[in-house]
Amino acid sequence: MTVLEAVSLTKRFGPVTAVDGVSFSVGEGEIVGLLGPNGAGKTTTLHMVLGLTTPDAGTVRMFGRDLAKHRTWALSRVNFAASYVSLPWVLRVDELLDVFAHMYGLRNPRRQVAEVTELLDLGELRDRRYGRLSSGQQTRVQLAKALLNEPGLLVLDEPTANLDPDVGDRIRELLLREAHRTGRAMLITSHNMPEVERMCSRIHFVSGGQIVATGSAVELAGAYGVDDLEAVFLRVARG
Amino acid sequence: MTSLLLDGASARRQRIASVIRRDFFALRRDPPRIIDMAFWPTAELVLWGLVSMYLQQNRVHIAVAMLLGAVLLWQVLHRAQGEVTFGFLFDVWSSNLLNVFVSPLSTLEYVAGLLLASVVKVTATIGVMSVLAFALYGFGVLTIGPGLVPFMAVLMVMGWALGVVAIGAVIRFGQSAQIVAFILVFVFQPFAAVFYPLSVLPAPAQAVAALVPASHVFEGMRGVLQGGGVSWGGLAVAALLDLAYVAASLGFLLYSLRYARQKGKLSRFGS
Repeated sequence: MTVLEAVSLTKRFGPVTAVDGVSFSVGEGEIVGLLGPNGAGKTTTLHMVLGLTTPDAGTVRMFGRDLAKHRTWALSRVNFAASYVSLPWVLRVDELLDVFAHMYGLRNPRRQVAEVTELLDLGELRDRRYGRLSSGQQTRVQLAKALLNEPGLLVLDEPTANLDPDVGDRIRELLLREAHRTGRAMLITSHNMPEVERMCSRIHFVSGGQIVATGSAVELAGAYGVDDLEAVFLRVARG
Repeated sequence: MTSLLLDGASARRQRIASVIRRDFFALRRDPPRIIDMAFWPTAELVLWGLVSMYLQQNRVHIAVAMLLGAVLLWQVLHRAQGEVTFGFLFDVWSSNLLNVFVSPLSTLEYVAGLLLASVVKVTATIGVMSVLAFALYGFGVLTIGPGLVPFMAVLMVMGWALGVVAIGAVIRFGQSAQIVAFILVFVFQPFAAVFYPLSVLPAPAQAVAALVPASHVFEGMRGVLQGGGVSWGGLAVAALLDLAYVAASLGFLLYSLRYARQKGKLSRFGS
């Protein structure tokens, strides 16, 4: 089943074409990566997928329905976390999760909050204010928020960007474990090449607003005649 | 998956409740905001109370009731606008707005949550002020009579409309436009004729004031305190103007959101 289908997405900001006819899909259980240099159009693409930015052309379908026409229905089944998005600093962890459990219209908010609290090992943090947590702890809370509604599609924009290697590794491990356990689809952007190699079954390289290469990490390295994804990245970024 | 999610009206109620819960959790954890809710209205009450006492000692009759009634009712409008706008700015300042906009919460549900939370907060503020007005100056808010509740309702709805306009301005023009949230209500204050009768305004300003719902309320309040009855006709005009204000403010908010999504400006509300 196709969870997400983006067709010919185009976005212009004045004279700049940020995204130029990007098409891709994400299937159930698939982890897809969008890679590319800064300003390539990855975040704009993600924001069109999430309905934050309206495409000038193209469509986004989620779970077979047009996002523009079924926004509430679709977004109930998706969730999002990003390194540049925070949560209200003054609220306690349990309060934050309670708020978002209600915001996603969950039938049993308390049970879901308890489940993600256990899953992300937040028990000892639940009465602490979000603003007083470390970066790693905050990321865990953000992921707990992103898993509250057991989304069919999890969109992550540089989820481990501010984390030390140890915490980053634990987060990746957790996400992979969850993806395998639930069959959840994920769409990820990252500048961390080992992270993408480890997590993504399919990778789209974005440059100048277009997808310039697609494949698994091994396929892409082979196609460019290099050893790893980082070398592919440098080739793409430097033209 | 399906059983996990509510649908229809239950889901809508749940989503609106999320905004209210967020607001009160935040309030509970933010003592300066609680102080803000009580301090400024109390400061104004004390200041105007003293002025009115002075006027009364100089034989300006019913000065206490006129001025304190005006201060109390003005706070309904002022706080209603402020609480709605601050509820939104809380999400902006905490870089949480993107989380809100990628959730299934619709724009109207979000606004409904902010409005409902403001009802409780404004009522609490006015309750405290009313007790103080009675304790310090012997002014009972019930002196305003049967018009009190409709007067407050008209002012609260006008405050909501201004609050929604301020939200729309921040979404449309970016965070620098949050100054609108602080000054918008004061742009209307001279035309609302809060502390003086409409007749003291120059004719062009009176024409503008006629289009401001609050002016009908304050004029009506003075009429009641001077011994006349409630001007239900004036209240009806104010209510109709309120409807127009609400429609225009929601229209502006929806336009601002459409514009921001079109221009990619919502994305800039991340940290």
